[in-house]
Amino acid sequence: MQQLVEQVKKLIKDKEVDVVIGWGKGSLSLSATPIFVETEEDAEKLIFDETCRNNLTTYLTKDKRRISKEYKKIGIVVKGCDSRSVVLYTVENQIKRENVVLIGVPCNGVFEKKKLSQLVGGKEILDLQIDGESIIIKGRNFEQTHSLKDVLCDSCLTCQYPDAPEHDYFIGTPRKDVKVPDAYKMIDNFGKKSAEERWAYIKEEYSKCIRCYACRNVCPSCYCPECFVDQNDPQWIGKTPEVTDSIIFHLIRNLHIAGRCVDCGACVSACPVDLDLRIMSKKVEKEIKERFDYTAGTDINEKPAMASYCENEKQDFIMG
Amino acid sequence: MVKIKKTGLNEFIEFLINDYDVYSPADVGKKIAYKKIHSAFEIRHDITNTHLSPKDIFFPQSEVLFQYSEDGMKVPEKNEKPIAVWGMRNCDTSSLLMLNKVFGDAHQMPDKDMYKDPYWKMKYDNCLIFNQACNEPLSTCFCNWFDGNPFAKKGADVFVVDTGDHFILEGISDKGKVFLTEYKTGEKVTKDDEEKIAELKKTAESYLPDVVNTKPLFAKMNKIWDEPIWEELSAKCINCGACTFVCPTCHCFDVSDEGKGKKGKRIRLWDSCMFQLFTREASGHNPRGLSTQRVRQRIMHKYNYFMDNYEQYLCTGCGRCVQVCPVNLDIREVIKQVLDYKLVKNEDK
Repeated sequence: MQQLVEQVKKLIKDKEVDVVIGWGKGSLSLSATPIFVETEEDAEKLIFDETCRNNLTTYLTKDKRRISKEYKKIGIVVKGCDSRSVVLYTVENQIKRENVVLIGVPCNGVFEKKKLSQLVGGKEILDLQIDGESIIIKGRNFEQTHSLKDVLCDSCLTCQYPDAPEHDYFIGTPRKDVKVPDAYKMIDNFGKKSAEERWAYIKEEYSKCIRCYACRNVCPSCYCPECFVDQNDPQWIGKTPEVTDSIIFHLIRNLHIAGRCVDCGACVSACPVDLDLRIMSKKVEKEIKERFDYTAGTDINEKPAMASYCENEKQDFIMG
Repeated sequence: MVKIKKTGLNEFIEFLINDYDVYSPADVGKKIAYKKIHSAFEIRHDITNTHLSPKDIFFPQSEVLFQYSEDGMKVPEKNEKPIAVWGMRNCDTSSLLMLNKVFGDAHQMPDKDMYKDPYWKMKYDNCLIFNQACNEPLSTCFCNWFDGNPFAKKGADVFVVDTGDHFILEGISDKGKVFLTEYKTGEKVTKDDEEKIAELKKTAESYLPDVVNTKPLFAKMNKIWDEPIWEELSAKCINCGACTFVCPTCHCFDVSDEGKGKKGKRIRLWDSCMFQLFTREASGHNPRGLSTQRVRQRIMHKYNYFMDNYEQYLCTGCGRCVQVCPVNLDIREVIKQVLDYKLVKNEDK
């Protein structure tokens, strides 16, 4: 990605940005790590590949750090989903679009650590090599070849916006028309199950939650200065990892991101206990799409679904 | 020493279950964690280490301290059987020794029983730890930075080595030795077995990273609190609690009352210094309101404050935080950066 490095160097040299948030090589074979590039020299550390999972735009809004306090202009390297987060921030008045410089990269999808680990039976992966449509996974005493598709994030497999629709600069060749399978198939299949079966699955799944809030903290759409779970007067929710409390947390979080989730999959990747978080978020996304014909982060001029009103909206949920 | 054929392990576990509540690495959802087991068939032997630490067995994520109602107060009673843990690696066994200093020993005032935690002692004091040698340390392991070793026996009651077809058990503590005398198998530990163990140990050690001398870390940290390094170190942290919850040594907790009408309960819950709420005061003031301050707290607690209080670091190098961190904030790099850091403000102190 020499092109990316050159572009960032130029932006820093021309003082178009004070910092560029991008990905650098991580300490583990499967993870890139966020880096904050302030000098041309540091720009050399930038990479972009299938290990660049994080949605870096999350650094724009949170109490975080020096970001947005000291920096006037921030550059960010964005994948498709990440660029949608910037659109979301803009329509929700969290940032001024002109204060952010977006460097789009063509994304072929990013690795899902959990899928990789499952494929090799939980053994430790020390090296990965992509060879066309397949991937060679190497560990201490094994080497396996799998289809690349089998190790990408679920969100990537149904992504319709791999080319960072919102960008100021674009690196490389856009993928343009991508054919993706029906994004809501998994939701529809789940919906066909009986209520008891669905409840049993959700209960089983969310009883594993350890309430570390990694899903919330990596989520670009979760930027409340104070989350409802952190309020203790009044206390809205029990703090135990009991399934009743955990489900409330996840349900409310999902309602809070209704029409705002860009399906970047950051929560899924961050979860240390591998919860099926998309089973909820994708359902909410589908509801919003069907009711309001709205897809988060795709139109910088459209008001958010939950912040606007049209007389002809379906209202069948109000009165039976 | 006792030698047990792997295929005959269930007999041994059943023998153990007679007198103990037995916990071992097992499938919990899609991950491997310690779980109470009822037969040896639930044990996951094919693992390197569990994804979640065993601290939950002795210091549960949520624990009822007492319940109250109109009929009075009820304090949880001690379980009939003591706890036995099978398959614990030494990084975790050592972590329990650290936690025991906090909860069990009232370290600074050992003569004062009032500062000993009854809930911890009730579970830990009579437990039997089967510490299993770690045949295959991961690339994220760094126990050797903290005097650890995959074949260390510190804190073990019984030391177990998986030699392929067999488990070789060696009594370490008095309690462990006594327990083993009660179990008879026909198999004898041979010279070949001992050679095999030595060989496994050598292989395991070869997987460890180069040792970093962490001894100077404490002194360095004494001077580093108000240095500008923390901004750099914490820049990418998103302040979730994943690292603290998977950590076998993090032990901060919160106390929460859950009540309705005339009955309710008081619960002790894991808390995390990564959370804003952790130090927010009633006035609204928060002494650690910034991410940087919270990251500093976690690192200082591990490599400075705990040393001050208990003469050891609060880290066993198990590497779980390295594995789960969503932004790959690698604590090994933090340690190295602190060690290499050139003081700006406090040079002469």
